Amino acid sequence: MKNLLEHMGIEPERLHFSWISSAESTKFVDVATKVTEAAKSLENKEKKFVKTKPKVA
Amino acid sequence: MSDKNPKILSFLCNWCSYGAADLAGVSRMEYPSNIRVIRIPCTGRMSPKFILAALRQGADAVWVSG
Amino acid sequence: MKSYTDNIKEISKRLLKEDKVDMVIGYRTGSVPLMHQPFFAQNQEEVDEFVWDSNCGLNLANYITDRTERIGILATGCNSRNIAVHIVEGKIKREQLYIIGIPCKGMVDRHKLSAMADGDITSVEDENNGSITITGQNFSKTVDKAEVLQENCSVCVHRNPVIYDELAAEEVTEQKRDDVDPYARVKEIEALSPEEKWAHFDDLLSDCIRCYACRNACPLCYCPLCFVDESNPQWVGKSIDHTDVRTFHFLRAYHCAGRCTDCGACVRSCPVGINVRDFTKKLEKDCLELFDWEAGLNTEQRPPLDTYRPDDPEEFIK
Repeated sequence: MKNLLEHMGIEPERLHFSWISSAESTKFVDVATKVTEAAKSLENKEKKFVKTKPKVA
Repeated sequence: MSDKNPKILSFLCNWCSYGAADLAGVSRMEYPSNIRVIRIPCTGRMSPKFILAALRQGADAVWVSG
Repeated sequence: MKSYTDNIKEISKRLLKEDKVDMVIGYRTGSVPLMHQPFFAQNQEEVDEFVWDSNCGLNLANYITDRTERIGILATGCNSRNIAVHIVEGKIKREQLYIIGIPCKGMVDRHKLSAMADGDITSVEDENNGSITITGQNFSKTVDKAEVLQENCSVCVHRNPVIYDELAAEEVTEQKRDDVDPYARVKEIEALSPEEKWAHFDDLLSDCIRCYACRNACPLCYCPLCFVDESNPQWVGKSIDHTDVRTFHFLRAYHCAGRCTDCGACVRSCPVGINVRDFTKKLEKDCLELFDWEAGLNTEQRPPLDTYRPDDPEEFIK
């Protein structure tokens, strides 16, 4: 999935996968921070794949 | 839209990461508030459709965690 | 290739005569040149309509989904792999099928030929010596077949059928991956930056009219309700808005991951000439690199995306 999104030109910073056990709250905080930082690093880039036009049935 | 506060949509497994998020909250840990959580019954419920739907509706990033 | 046609007719007649099958699926001359149509011969007389040349680009595996009859079917390399995928996915039983294997020399690209012609092509002659003659109202042109092969055929490394009950001709020599690089085009795109990639696909899909011909021609697309037709929730809009078009192509390609045999039916069926393979070929390459997997090479193994192995790659997981 990630590979194809990247192939299409979505930045890799936009999709993250992780594996955290329910006891690993520290890891959760850690990954959450990293994901946010990655997303913030894209702040100057235009968002893609956003549907701007209204839905048509 | 200014991305100073990116919207991150996270799909968390009920039994793993959702528990971890809960524990982080109970333990009063601090983490960025950009994360919007959707609880899914299991990461196996995840579908590529969800990720695309999230991006289409304007999420800056998507995070899937089991 | 007349001998191909003769052999196919002979085998088909024998099968129908001995009542081994209820029908044989092959091709007959269509109403438009360059596109032979699929044909179900149910008795020996109908078999005489069969043809075989370089215009048999449709994938016949498309027509056996959920069938209950005993079927004889022509199968080239890619078609036979798609039949194998069907068997693995439980869409047909191996016992129902009598596969007439056809070592394939490649199909011609109708988009390329039309671009070469000075007007509408009215007839095509496929000469056995590897050249193609196209004729129209005021012109006639002979071209080298190798030049007008479909792109997927020119880089094909599985020309001989992988499963068959009988061959209609001698096996052909396979091309080696070292000689023809099937992934040259994918690598070109991979080398681009995210912005350039985005622009490339924008340009590629700008002509798409969402006719779903690629979906209908694809033997893998047999879902009773396709995600594009789902309305609650509606995953993808029906307009030709760029986001919708891209969502459709992206998800369709993804649904074919690890199942696509690169038969080229999608590209061939596209009325506006979009190279849909830019999506599917990337996934095919990934499957080969990550899972050491090529679709449809046997009828036992499940595709990589619906199996778990402890050594599956997991570098992408934090």
